[in-house]
Amino acid sequence: MAAYIARRLVAMVGMLIALSIITFLLFAALPTDPALLTCGKNCTPQVVAANRVRLGLDKPLYQQYVTFAKGIFVGRDYGSGTATFHCPAPCLGYSYLKGEDVTSLIWNALPVTASLAAGAFIVWIVSGVLLGIFAALRRGTWQERSVLGFALVGYSFPSFFIGLLALFFVVIRWQLLPYPNYVPPTQGLLQWFQTLILPWITLALLYAAYYIRLTRNQMLETLGEDYIRTARAKGLPERTVILRHGLRAGLTPIVTSAGLDLAGLLGGAVVTESIFRLPGLGSLAIDAVVNADLPVITGTVLVAATFIIVANLIVDILYAAIDPRVRLT
Amino acid sequence: MAKAGLRAVVFAAVGALALAACGSGSGTSPSSSAGGGATTATSGPQKGGTLYILTNEKQFLHLDPQRNYTGTDLAFANGFLNRTLTAYKFAPGDGGAQLVPDLATDTGTATDGGKTWSFTLRDGVTFQDGSPITCADVKYGISRTFATTVITDGPTYAIQDLAIPTDAKGNSVYLGPYDTSSKNDVAAFDKAVTCSADNKTITMHLNQPVGDWNYAMTLLEFSPVPKAKDTGEKYDDNPVSSGPYQIENYTKGTSLTLVRNPKWSQASDPYRHAYPDKVVVQFGLDPSAIDQRLMADSGPDQTAVTLGGLQPENLATVFNDPKYKDRRFNGYDPYVRYLAINTAKVPNLKQRLAMMAAMDRAAYRTIYGGNFAGDLADGVIKPNLAIDYKPTNLWTGLLGQNIPDNGDPTFAKQLIAQSGAKMPTITYDYPNTPTQSKVASAVVASLGKAGITVKPNPIEPGQYYGVILDPKKADELMYAGWGPDWLNASTVIPPLFQPNGGFDVSQYNNAAFNAQINKAKATLDRTAQGAEWAALNVEAMKDGLVIPTLFGKIQYLVGSKIGGGYIWAPYGCMPFGDLWIKS
Repeated sequence: MAAYIARRLVAMVGMLIALSIITFLLFAALPTDPALLTCGKNCTPQVVAANRVRLGLDKPLYQQYVTFAKGIFVGRDYGSGTATFHCPAPCLGYSYLKGEDVTSLIWNALPVTASLAAGAFIVWIVSGVLLGIFAALRRGTWQERSVLGFALVGYSFPSFFIGLLALFFVVIRWQLLPYPNYVPPTQGLLQWFQTLILPWITLALLYAAYYIRLTRNQMLETLGEDYIRTARAKGLPERTVILRHGLRAGLTPIVTSAGLDLAGLLGGAVVTESIFRLPGLGSLAIDAVVNADLPVITGTVLVAATFIIVANLIVDILYAAIDPRVRLT
Repeated sequence: MAKAGLRAVVFAAVGALALAACGSGSGTSPSSSAGGGATTATSGPQKGGTLYILTNEKQFLHLDPQRNYTGTDLAFANGFLNRTLTAYKFAPGDGGAQLVPDLATDTGTATDGGKTWSFTLRDGVTFQDGSPITCADVKYGISRTFATTVITDGPTYAIQDLAIPTDAKGNSVYLGPYDTSSKNDVAAFDKAVTCSADNKTITMHLNQPVGDWNYAMTLLEFSPVPKAKDTGEKYDDNPVSSGPYQIENYTKGTSLTLVRNPKWSQASDPYRHAYPDKVVVQFGLDPSAIDQRLMADSGPDQTAVTLGGLQPENLATVFNDPKYKDRRFNGYDPYVRYLAINTAKVPNLKQRLAMMAAMDRAAYRTIYGGNFAGDLADGVIKPNLAIDYKPTNLWTGLLGQNIPDNGDPTFAKQLIAQSGAKMPTITYDYPNTPTQSKVASAVVASLGKAGITVKPNPIEPGQYYGVILDPKKADELMYAGWGPDWLNASTVIPPLFQPNGGFDVSQYNNAAFNAQINKAKATLDRTAQGAEWAALNVEAMKDGLVIPTLFGKIQYLVGSKIGGGYIWAPYGCMPFGDLWIKS
């Protein structure tokens, strides 16, 4: 197991390096000139040239990349003369558009996205799995059709539509909640909850719909297995049959999906964050892409990729824990 | 504000021109407010309450005064945080164009025919830490502009106009306060900007007469910065206030909270009243949600205003429903929109005039949203430049006959016939956005009626200005827009029609015209100067340099408890620094 994890971690570092290089190359291929974007009105050739130096774009691409990579481990200096300032390690770069180092930007955005993702995850996984089991146990009844109908609706409506609808009615029209204004839970637990409850529901609706169907299908398949019939024949209580033998066996694909979905969300729930004005990683990434802010793009890509890769690893390990037939080698 | 002009043009190009925490809007008694000294009548302006400012922007582009160059941001910072030597009067209509002293005791003294300007600081002016604001602080603030690799995005009038030599490449020999190398000629700057022995009077020596240099002093480029507190690039996050408020909290993407600056005194600042106790800017809001909140007008939103204007889809509702009549505003934004004709590629005057005559300006305005989008323009100087604007009669006889709003293809054909040359195919450059694509169709159709073949050339918005500012890449006709940097047409006519003006996309270089511009720039008598700019505006139209299309307008809705709202002429936004909360 230890050797397996070590191998995966090494591969993870390799993938992150490859990703950062690809991001750099893709950015260089863009027609937009960052030196022009931060130039302002008096965009004389002299100012553009000075900007190019300031942004480090006057250096060859490989040198820009090496400087970036070095900054992650030992930090780097920006500016010149008495206006020099240090970006401490792990320095993912400095955004001249935001006026802040990328590590801080990500560090500030991460708790917002984590709050959103974790809350939504709890809502969707609990409701999705429970309703899925319920639908499986009520197969062929109006209850199953109702649950599946609900899942279909949740799956059909895009989150931006549900989000805007919720915002308009719940916040603006009925004023049941204040307008979303994110504060950390340490500064105001109630406001934090009031701000996130609608985004949680919006995001969870979409995902719960998927998990209802997934759980139901898994349960139906598992409950039809011979060993379930054997368990029942042995006189085990129905709850034990369902939860210990049925659900556990059907859990594997659910865990896989949940892990990857959660990791994807930790990389930024772009639409939901935008609608509810949550200053998370998704909003940060979108801003960076619109403004061709390379350091932020690279930083957010790396962070999002790290989440996905780590989640993959955790899911694989969980696989082995849930299903004794799986051996990690 | 040319940068702001460019921004606005881009905003327009993407079809989006325009642009709650738990605070209470209730007022407190004036005596409980720091700063004191303003009016107390309940029916009029009063102190207290929290002013909310809602915006879809994620942060202010810059709060570093020397880097702040966007109209509404300037209005915000100047109203609350950064004092300048001169400022614009808080007044609706043309009154807002009046220059008044701020940090200085008067609006400046010009000598040497406008080549030297002096300003004396008021007594008792301080920064938020209580230290006095001196001439050295203003001088230091100006010096930062020269550090072009650190102080980016801001205006560069100090570099352009102060009497400081340049090197062979045309760069200033002074490199700003951060450069410690021997090639930095600090003495040259010290000679151009001097302080009196009592450190209260600043004198600026210019490389040419500038009759309205005191208007330039309204820019935060010329506001004071305490050298000991300057953190270079990082100063943007927490600038030292010289105004009635100071930053309590600034979380980019979320909010900015200003609270009273206890060191500010009304006695040293007769310009500002500092009515609200607190100012909270909420960033990153959905534009439609902002409109809906203001229309709903509940809770803290009753004391809210916006940085940007109403969304087009809500204009009819707000302006047709009488319930909004006391809190809606419709007026000029700072921008003029036009189609620039490249005189290098269309050198024939009659052909340029033919293009002007043929253009369907009414269709252009319809595409932009009809009457709310603005008035049909008759030049590049807008009526909000009160002293400089005079109707040019461009469409009522200047070109030889009246030209209807939807163009006159017959007259255009006559002009082409008179040109004595074959009309070239016109390539029309425009930013590739939905609105601009519709405008391009209108250009093709209306000029086509006069027999002019127009080839549309959509350009990626991010690349657009890079293309049209490059004489080698710019085509015959281009979409453009402009807003003045200060309320004087010296920041309109020279930049648009002089070779080194900065935005001469018409590629115009006329010696006689340039001479008239230089004469007008040096004119110290503001009324006489206004007449000169008005005459040059007419000349530019007669010479077919642009097809003026719109004097842009903007619309605002504010909360029902906002007092003192109007569209302030210098920036085309609310007079943030003069708003008050109704009890």
